[in-house]
Amino acid sequence: MLLKYFDCTRSGPRSAFDNDIVFQFEIMEYILDFAFDRLGSDEAPINHPILITECACNLVHSRSKMAELLFETYGVPSIAFGVDAAFSYKYNQQLGICDRNGLAICSGFTTSHVIPFINGEPVYEACCRTNVGGYHVTDYLKQLLSLKYPHHMQRLTWEKVEDLKMEHCYITLDYASEVRLFQKGAKEAAEKTRCWQLPWTPSPVEEPPSEEEIARKAALKERQGQRLREMAEAKRSSKINELENELKGLEFLIQQLRHVNGNDIPSFLAETGYVSKQEIESAIVKVTQSLRKAKGEQDEVEEKQEISNLEKYTLIDIPDNMLTPEQVKEKKRQLFLKTTSEGRQRAKQKRFEEELERERRNKEDEQRRLENPELYMEQLRVKYKDLTEKVEQRKRLKTNGSNGNENLSGGVGRGERLNAAQKERMRLLTTAAFDRGKGEDTFGIKDEDWQLYKKMSKDNDDEDEGPNEDEAELARVASKLREIDPTFFPKSDASSSGTEPPRFRPLTKEDFQILIGVERFRCPEILFHPNLIGIEQAGLDEMAGVSIQRLQSKSQSLEESNGLTNSILITGGSCLYPGMSERLEAGIRMIRPCGTPIRVLRASDAVLDAWLGAASFASTMHFQRQVFNKTDYYEKGEDWLRRYQLKYSF
Amino acid sequence: MKCCIKPSEDTRFFRFILMEQEVIESEMILPTHLSFKKIQMHEKYPKGQARGRHWKHLKQIIQAENYQNYPADEPNYVNIESPPSMHPRKQICDITGFEAPYSDPRTHLRYANTEVFKLIRSLPNEYVQRYLALRNAAVVLK
Repeated sequence: MLLKYFDCTRSGPRSAFDNDIVFQFEIMEYILDFAFDRLGSDEAPINHPILITECACNLVHSRSKMAELLFETYGVPSIAFGVDAAFSYKYNQQLGICDRNGLAICSGFTTSHVIPFINGEPVYEACCRTNVGGYHVTDYLKQLLSLKYPHHMQRLTWEKVEDLKMEHCYITLDYASEVRLFQKGAKEAAEKTRCWQLPWTPSPVEEPPSEEEIARKAALKERQGQRLREMAEAKRSSKINELENELKGLEFLIQQLRHVNGNDIPSFLAETGYVSKQEIESAIVKVTQSLRKAKGEQDEVEEKQEISNLEKYTLIDIPDNMLTPEQVKEKKRQLFLKTTSEGRQRAKQKRFEEELERERRNKEDEQRRLENPELYMEQLRVKYKDLTEKVEQRKRLKTNGSNGNENLSGGVGRGERLNAAQKERMRLLTTAAFDRGKGEDTFGIKDEDWQLYKKMSKDNDDEDEGPNEDEAELARVASKLREIDPTFFPKSDASSSGTEPPRFRPLTKEDFQILIGVERFRCPEILFHPNLIGIEQAGLDEMAGVSIQRLQSKSQSLEESNGLTNSILITGGSCLYPGMSERLEAGIRMIRPCGTPIRVLRASDAVLDAWLGAASFASTMHFQRQVFNKTDYYEKGEDWLRRYQLKYSF
Repeated sequence: MKCCIKPSEDTRFFRFILMEQEVIESEMILPTHLSFKKIQMHEKYPKGQARGRHWKHLKQIIQAENYQNYPADEPNYVNIESPPSMHPRKQICDITGFEAPYSDPRTHLRYANTEVFKLIRSLPNEYVQRYLALRNAAVVLK
């Protein structure tokens, strides 16, 4: 019974293969389970000899684990191992496609092999393997497209990219000339560019508001403003009325008081709610003041306040020892009032001056702008750039600071203790909580300990001030630039990619297209130039040369090795690219002596030939003679297993 | 998500398994007990043990092979590898794929002309590193 050679290795973590060697036998067991299950086996043990394909010069460890798996878990009577490329070559030889002497170039999923065949047998001494295959081509294409179209990254799944690769990729005869077509923007280049249109729906187009709309909206706003103003006015006048009424009432009361003699005042006043004449008088003063304010006569009020304050400061100049205790208290209060009002005055003055200063600077700016707009714009741009850099740097420090400082602080932060202030706080906390070895927490016994919290909160305040200044400045410069510079685009945060379209343009159909032009032939090129992806090994055409060289140094027959190139078979899934044969031929012609016959032949079915070859091999007597069974395996030991090689011809 | 009852070969109990419709239809699910196996999977790899079973990776397997003990002209997995390429290195632009005679001193990316250069200078660092990683030239800080 035969086993199909699975090329279902995925790059994900659940692959049984590392390169082309089986190493995860748990997953391998699942694969075998699946195979046997689908083949319909239902009795234990599986009573058929098994032929398993492997890579060239497989490792003993892998072979023995595989043999163990088959013998122990499945109860298989006998096994034989064979190389997939060899089966493919023999099969094609049977079909008459290639000769007894030739070269097999097998390009698989993760590796590519070149194996020479002499008299129908593979010569492993001259075999050559490069660790590049279809997986690398697909991965390269996926990365290139993802980098070119970052906002369509979810669409570019591995399976989809593999489909794209199989459908569109090809190999050019000469990379340099092909790429020049694209660089010049020639018509052929445009024809060769394939376009993948992703589904999209056009967003509803907002029509610019017509004249009437604008006028209507303006009128509406005006009316609303009017309404608000009317309401404010009404409120104000009602308040004024109220205050006037109150004032009138209080004055009337005072008048009445004049007619009442001193002793009866308290009882008279008891009904009104005021206790003494002074109270009423002070109430009158207050009401008059508020009335004046409501009517909008502010300056007078303040002056009045000042004057009244001056009157109140009478006690300040009198030295303490001449005053009664109450007067001393009164003096203290007056002092306090005086200093506070003076402070207020000074602050107001300063604000006024700052306003003037700012006005002056703005005027200067405007003048500069009018004189030399170009220079002004340049300066603004430079300033903007500096500021953005500063802000970004600070942001970066905040997030990256921990990476650099982890070593210093001995792993204190988890990335949250970011800046100096927070680190300081942490340090304070830890020292405070540190058990000084006495077994008791002595924090808090002394009053000074609580000063800790004061220190910590102060630090917090300092940090937040700084960035705001820079950012405010940045915002101002940005707005100025936006006004005067039509080509200015405010830079969004560093996290967004540089290739995103500016957001205020509506998305069009073209934004949802993925163009594959140069990538079509750039990706399979890595089979011939693995150093394009950083793998320092020879490409397919060079490998053929290396293989022939190795053969010539091992066995001294030159004519045979010269004839090898007459029958070069390309097989394996990764050789199906259009243009592969021509490129190989050209490449091999470059490195072989002039005039050697070169024929590149494609396998009849590049993907399945290995299996078909193995199938036809297993149906011969030859297979029966070369299997080994369980006793062989356990008796003969690892060394024998290492040297076990299948013979392919009869 | 569809709830599917999968009778196992051992019909003492049915298993309720929540599965996606496609998974059910693709028929890729195996029963837990297979009649042709002498040792079942759940006996060999009992659940609860660390799933990240420590299978040796290729590098370790190769080392364990001890190829230095065997004659050097015998072909083995290591010595059939291809040598580095003798051909002159192909230099193409990292972004566009054109021929690239120039390289950027700051980011070490290859570029073909001035427009590509402008694009390179405007790329955020993440993209620069990814382009370099394509060529295996990214700086890896570990």
